[in-house]
Amino acid sequence: MSEINYGAAKILLIDDEDHLRNGVKRILELEGYNVDTAENGTEGIRKGVNGDFDVILIDLKMPDIGGIEVLRELRLQKPYSICYIATAFASYETAVEATKLGAEGYILKPFTSDELIHDINKGIQKRHLILESERLRKEREESLLELAFERSRLKAIINSLADGVIVINKNEEVVYFNPAALRLLNIHTLILKEKIRGKVSAEISGLMNEVAEEKVDSEKPRSIQLEIKPRGELYVEVSCTPVAGFDSMISGMVLVLKDVTQFKQLEQVKSQFVSMVSHELKSPIAATLGFLDIILNPNLNISKEQEEDFLKRSANRLRTLLIMVNDLLDISRIELNSVKREVVRVELASSIKDCIDFLGNDAAQKNIQIKNGIEFDRYFILADKAEVERVFTNIISNGVKYNKAGGELNIAARIDGSYIRLDFADTGIGMQKEEKEKLFSEFFRAKNEFTRGINGTGLGLSIVKKTMAHYNGKILVESEYGHGTTFSLFFPVEEKI
Amino acid sequence: MKEVKKILLVDDDIDILEQNKLMLEAEGFEVFLATNTAEGIRKFEEVLPDAVVLDLMMDQYDSGFILSHKIKRSEHGKKIPVFMITSVANVTGFKFDASTDDEREWLDVEEILNKPVQVPELIAKIKAFYGKAH
Repeated sequence: MSEINYGAAKILLIDDEDHLRNGVKRILELEGYNVDTAENGTEGIRKGVNGDFDVILIDLKMPDIGGIEVLRELRLQKPYSICYIATAFASYETAVEATKLGAEGYILKPFTSDELIHDINKGIQKRHLILESERLRKEREESLLELAFERSRLKAIINSLADGVIVINKNEEVVYFNPAALRLLNIHTLILKEKIRGKVSAEISGLMNEVAEEKVDSEKPRSIQLEIKPRGELYVEVSCTPVAGFDSMISGMVLVLKDVTQFKQLEQVKSQFVSMVSHELKSPIAATLGFLDIILNPNLNISKEQEEDFLKRSANRLRTLLIMVNDLLDISRIELNSVKREVVRVELASSIKDCIDFLGNDAAQKNIQIKNGIEFDRYFILADKAEVERVFTNIISNGVKYNKAGGELNIAARIDGSYIRLDFADTGIGMQKEEKEKLFSEFFRAKNEFTRGINGTGLGLSIVKKTMAHYNGKILVESEYGHGTTFSLFFPVEEKI
Repeated sequence: MKEVKKILLVDDDIDILEQNKLMLEAEGFEVFLATNTAEGIRKFEEVLPDAVVLDLMMDQYDSGFILSHKIKRSEHGKKIPVFMITSVANVTGFKFDASTDDEREWLDVEEILNKPVQVPELIAKIKAFYGKAH
């Protein structure tokens, strides 16, 4: 509490008697007080309300407004100014009334200056106390408000976290949790003070044991990954951190739950891809080795023709393997976006013609008619020529490989919305619905009674799709099993070519 | 002991099929080939082989399971050994074998063999099957 400075106190005298008012003023000013006066009730109220007086002395009998009325008004408007009623006509009733209205006391006229100063100083003390306690009350209120605000803000933050949070005390009872925690543990309810062990899996229990056994000062979180919902629907990483108490014993733990389903799924896709690649790479190696083992085996009597056949087939398998490795490298280059492209203006009709010529032998062998129905010098795209021609070669080669002997492959172009659309319609063996769905996935190759003996890596269309995506284009496929397939390539129409 | 003669090999890799055929023929077996599930079933019913060796991954990744189930449900299939060839264990580390009753319940084959199949080992296993009280 601060020191009281009586001298600096502000006093207001309200009295209609000039000599008394002036006399008292002089006495109080000699004592160092800061004194103002009012000569009637009206002025008294005005000054009392506008100024912030420590002590106000009110004469009971005044011509305009009585002292009791003035007191009532001042108490109402300035509850922290200390008021005294001064009068010569003391009576019990007015004293009671004045006290009820909140007057600090009653000063009987005539009074000595000592008496007056004594009362006024008491008033100043009172005022000081009131102000101080008011200040403390406000301070406390403010800090409580702030605390409540801080708490609710913290709660709002924790509740809106995507990660789950559970805080437990040293008795392993839940003392705090957020809604995400329920979702990530796949439980419906959690009650405060509930024992956590009954609600979590054995793995999480084990994790808590590990943390509990550790030295607390490490305060290192330990974490595990768990499958919360079966079939990979929900994977959660649970981290458990000990909370150290005063005595450096564990006073509780914080469990943080993070949804890692997507990472897990990616991991799975990756490992599936790796196992597929290994499988696909192994097959030609195993076949080649098998042939060589047979040729080198002195116990097997194989003819010269057989040996030649086996060597040719081995070479073919190795050739396919080489193409596959190159395709895989291409896919990874496209995915890593490290393909070096030389973008030029490509005229589609002549580009497609080159591709058809390149595949002329294969088409001739199966007696397949390829018709290039694209108007020359009409459709242009901006692209790396070799890269898009590889796309065309891929699609045309599929149209030949998966065609029936004597079939057709018709190629046409037109504007379709904001795209240049290329249609490659073959009269081939077509695809079944489930084959169509897997068409663009790596290593997928349609395997049915028609496709035996057709070679390929199963990577071509995957490369096509990725390439088309790079050029902001797309690829669509329509197919009827047994009757034919149409691949449609869409390249965005370029404004300035 | 029954004389084991006819073996049906099912694999979508025609090169591997012919290699195994050649080596088994050198050992005096009569070998029949199929390159997919449908052909496998057809040849099985036609030939009624003394043993079947089939690849797990063919037209579908689980073709071998489907085929082995079909074979083992048939009257003849119950009497003969079926061997499944796979590289799944090598590639994924995921191991399964047909030696426990639990797995036998869904994996109705005599044994899972790693790819590539070792012909002498295969012959020994076929002989062992018929050497028991069959």
